This record gives sequence, structure tokens and C-alpha cells, in this order.
Amino acid sequence: MDEVLSPGSVEFYRKLINEEPDGDKKEFIFYTVKKDRDKVAMLYLAPASDKGRATLRLGDNMWLYIPNVGKPIRITSMQSIVGGVFNNSDIMRLDYSAEYNAVKLDESGDSYILDLKAKTRTVSYDSLKMWVIKKNNIVQKVECYAPSGKLIKTLEFKQVKDFGDGIVRPSVIETTSPLYRDYKSVMIYSAIKRKKLQNEVFTLDYLSRLGELR
Amino acid sequence: MSLFKRLIYYSLLISSSALWNTAEAQDYEFEIPAEEEVAKLEINGNLDAKWGILQTNRTSPVYGLQFFGQDIPGDYLSQYRLDFYLNGDYQYKQVGFTMRTFSQYTNEKSFELSFYELYGSLNLSPRFTFSVGKRRYNWGKGYAFNPVGYVNTEKDPENPDLAMAGKSSVQLQYNRSISSGFIQNLSISAIVLPQEANILEKYSKTGDLSAAFKLYMLINNIDLDFMFNIGPGQRRRYGMDFSTNLRENIEIHGEASYSNGEEMSIIINNAVQMNEASGFSYLLGLRYLAPWNMTVIADYYHNNSGLSQQEYQDYQAYLLNNLITGDADLIDETRFVMTNSFRSRNLMRDYIYVKASMPEPFKWLYSSISVFTIYNLNDNSFILSPQIGYKPFTNTEILLWPSFLFGKKDSEYGSKHFQKKLEIWFRFYF
Repeated sequence: MDEVLSPGSVEFYRKLINEEPDGDKKEFIFYTVKKDRDKVAMLYLAPASDKGRATLRLGDNMWLYIPNVGKPIRITSMQSIVGGVFNNSDIMRLDYSAEYNAVKLDESGDSYILDLKAKTRTVSYDSLKMWVIKKNNIVQKVECYAPSGKLIKTLEFKQVKDFGDGIVRPSVIETTSPLYRDYKSVMIYSAIKRKKLQNEVFTLDYLSRLGELR
Repeated sequence: MSLFKRLIYYSLLISSSALWNTAEAQDYEFEIPAEEEVAKLEINGNLDAKWGILQTNRTSPVYGLQFFGQDIPGDYLSQYRLDFYLNGDYQYKQVGFTMRTFSQYTNEKSFELSFYELYGSLNLSPRFTFSVGKRRYNWGKGYAFNPVGYVNTEKDPENPDLAMAGKSSVQLQYNRSISSGFIQNLSISAIVLPQEANILEKYSKTGDLSAAFKLYMLINNIDLDFMFNIGPGQRRRYGMDFSTNLRENIEIHGEASYSNGEEMSIIINNAVQMNEASGFSYLLGLRYLAPWNMTVIADYYHNNSGLSQQEYQDYQAYLLNNLITGDADLIDETRFVMTNSFRSRNLMRDYIYVKASMPEPFKWLYSSISVFTIYNLNDNSFILSPQIGYKPFTNTEILLWPSFLFGKKDSEYGSKHFQKKLEIWFRFYF
């Protein structure tokens, strides 16, 4: 399932749309590179006010680089640097198996239903409930829960698309949250390509140079 | 493939859903910003139009010296200015060029243009980089204060994110990712800083170099830096900092620096004298995200070379004694001392910085509120400054920013040249 969503070492572009309660939208475009289960780096391409910002995630560690500030600042997974319903860990998502252990497996029609439990206390959500299509291992829906058992948000994976080179995965993720009742956020994936990446691309010193990869 | 990306739109269709109706389907089409195969040139920046009004503190010696000889009726002054930031980045294969400029316009006669950064770099690989020119560094983990910021330009603690001028320097950096093992990442920086030209504004004395080294490691999910700095006169400083996430919403950080002879200016018998302070400066802080989406940053900072309460009172007495003479030459000399020997924005020893911020409070869309205080623990004076931000359109921001200063007349914040301030910023990005 992780291999379907994030196949090996890849680069891709994403558009994030945050819809506000008044119907207006805020949009961001990111260039992202991912390697192994737990390395993600992301560069802001638009809007101009955020252009040049970059984020890095290595396992449980996350940093934000702002050109004006001139150094990476450690951030936490529950923060949201772009606002809206997606938090940092949603946008810089690792393989699910890097952060969670499967503790229960059920079946319902053509889907598996998995209960996942966070491996550490720095993971954003204490537990997940995940629906996966049996025939192709594609995730359909993920519900994210707090330690109290309260539902924090729901992610729905839609529009399965063939990106070429054997990469077939949902191209749209929609999210809603009972904590942000009037807000909606959507992430659209585009131009996913396999790319050889050196490990040093995923270091703090390289954050200001991420644009060189494009 | 590059041309392909530049020319096409990636059309991403979404089926109708409860959340998104058909009319909104066009949102799922976006153009990937262009990339260049050979050379990349990017220009960006922002224009800040700022209007401010401040209530002056006429009893302050700093006010008296700053406005000596000026006829200022009333207790209020206003200012309107334009701050223009223009940045350019050029990349051709392994060679890069970076320029960050700052221009300030207050009237036709006082237009200032300066290069905040101007450097070339050789990016030999993801592991090796080399740069020469004027460059800004930002060492340390503290938000408003950085005792280990040996190569930093001093921040404005009241606005730590403000772009600042860099320093002339040569930097060599080696960077290594280690996938397995105790150390996950490792980086070594070596920086040589020539002394700024202070002879006829073109030359400086030979031997007035300083150098700084930093070793960074990511160990067991902890950022760890060790620094060393040697400056003119063989003065040495040794430092370390760390930061780590304790939980999904809590980050802690700290810095410690030991100096074997930090220069500090003090006033003895109404005259400036140089002293040397050996010992530790340090900072300890945290960043916490509350469940109601409020972020709190709290830092405690001890400055070993800062002034004690008595030393600060002696400094204020020195300013006042020289001001009341009315001697223009002595007042010029005192201004020079004020802006050179006592130029730090926070001159004393112990401070607490606390900032709380929250996006879209009370469901006020596109807004953000924050409030910060810098509390001087030595004389119990402080600044309290709330901010209201509003982003009505993409790439546009409006900021309403009042500041209130509290403290006795001879305290640090009570002796500033103003007591209250209100600024309104209009910021446009491009």
C-alpha cells in the first residue's frame, strides 16, 4: 500500500487548495522529493509571498526554512505552516509503515479495514483507521484519531491516475475535520516521476538549494 | 521534458463530490511554474509601505541626544516610509549568484540603497558548497536572541524575522547524510570574516580576520551544533546549541556560549571604559502548539556581557550629564558612544521573551493575532506588543502593530526615546 502511494525515490508537484468558510480559496504549489520511507523535502513555488520556503522531514523530525530568516527552524508535526485542514505531517507525509503499526485487520466487501497505532508520541495522530481496496492495495480513506479516541480529520483518496513508469495512485486527496467545520482542503498530485536522489538532498544545508533539482 | 513542463497544463479532474461541485472542477488544473534547463534566474521581493506614530519620552536622555537642536512641538512624531526589498538568484550549473537589496525611501533627499547579501557560490555537489561575498548567517536556535550567533548580524528582538544585512565572508561547507548509525546527518561549516573597511572606508588592518567553525549533527532526533569562534586579539568563544521535539506539539531548544574575554563597555566616573567579561551566556526555550491552535514561544536569555542594573543606571546618568551641558561637541561624542559602544538593542543581562500567536482567531478569516513581550528581569521593565495581521488578497498583507513600553525612568524600556508606538504596514509581494 505504501509502495503504491510513494513508489521509491520520486519527485512530484502538488497543488494545495484551502477553501475558507466564505468560499474563497488559498492556493499553494509545491515541488516535492521523497526517498525511502522517511525522507521528504518540499519547496514552495507559489504564491510569491511564500516562494523559496522549504521544508524537510526526516522521520519524526521536521524543519522549515524561510529565506528571510536564513536558517531552518524545527517545527512540530501538528503545526500547519499553510493553514487549512492539512497539518505539517499531512503535507510531508511519510510512509504509513514508518510511523504506525497495524494492530487489527478486518474485511468489508472489496476493502480491507486496518487499525493503525502510532509508534511514537511525536507522531501527529495516535491512531488511524484505513480503508484499502483489496485488488490493487490503493488507499480509499483514512480517519485520524486523537489519544482520546476523538476523530481529528478524514482523508479521502480520489481520482486514481496512471502517472507512467508503473506509478498508479490517487491524484487527489480531500480532507475535512470536525475541528474545522467550515474549512475544506484538497491536495492534487501531478507529474510524479522516479528520480535518483542523493541522501544529502535531505539535509538542512541543502534546503536553500532544493530548486536546483528541478 | 523541461519544455514539455513549461508548455502544458496538467489537467486533473475530480469527480463530483459532496464537498466540491462541478463549477469548482477548474481548480484542479494548475500550471507548474517554469523551470529552466540551463540557467535559472529568479527575481522576487516585496514593498512595505509603513506609517507610524510614536509618543515620545521627553524625559529620556536618549530622546534628548537624538533630537538635540531640533524644535519638536508636542509629544508625538509620525513617520511614513517605503521599504523595498529586491532579491535575485541566478543559477548556471554549479555556479550560483545571490543578491538581496534593501532600499528605504523617506523623502527625496534620503533614499538609501544597500546590499543585504551579495555573493557567488560554487555548489560542487550536494555535499560541498563554497561561497564568497556578503552573506547573512543565522546561527543558534533561539527566536529573538542567539548567544552562539558568532557570525550573525544582530537581530531586532522585536522583529526577529526581519531581513538583515549580511557580512563579508568566505564560507566552505561540507554536508553528509548518514542513513544508518548513531549520527543521522553531519555538516561542517568554516567561515572566514575579514574586518569591515574602517580606514578611509576602503582598507582595514591586516590580521583583523576572524574565523568561525560549526559542526552540526542530527543525533537520535536531536539537532546538535558545536561552534568555535576566534576573533581579532585571539579572543575565543565556544558554543553549543540543541533543539528537539518532545511531543507532536512541543519543541525545546537551548544555546550556551563561553567566552574567555568578551569586550563590554561600562561607565565609570562618567567616562567610557572597556571591560572584559569571561563566562557563559545561555538561552533555554520552547515552542508549544496548544489544542486551540495557539503557538507559544518562550525563551529565557542570559547575557554574560550585559550590564547590571547599576551599570545601566550609570550609563543613563552619563548620557544625561553630557546632555545637560548643552555642549554640541560633547553631545556628538556622546551620540557616537551611544551608537557604537552601547549599540545593542538589549544591553542588560537577563530577559524573558514570550510570544503567543494564533491564525484566524474567532473565525476572523485571513487574519492572525499575536502578542509578544520582552521582559527585563534585572530592572523589571518590559515591552508589550500585540499585532493584528490581515491578508485580504494573495500576496498582500496588512499589519497593525502597537507597542507599549513600561518601566521606571532609569530602566531599560522606561528610558527609550518613546513610550508608545503604533505602526501600520501594507506589504505587497511579487
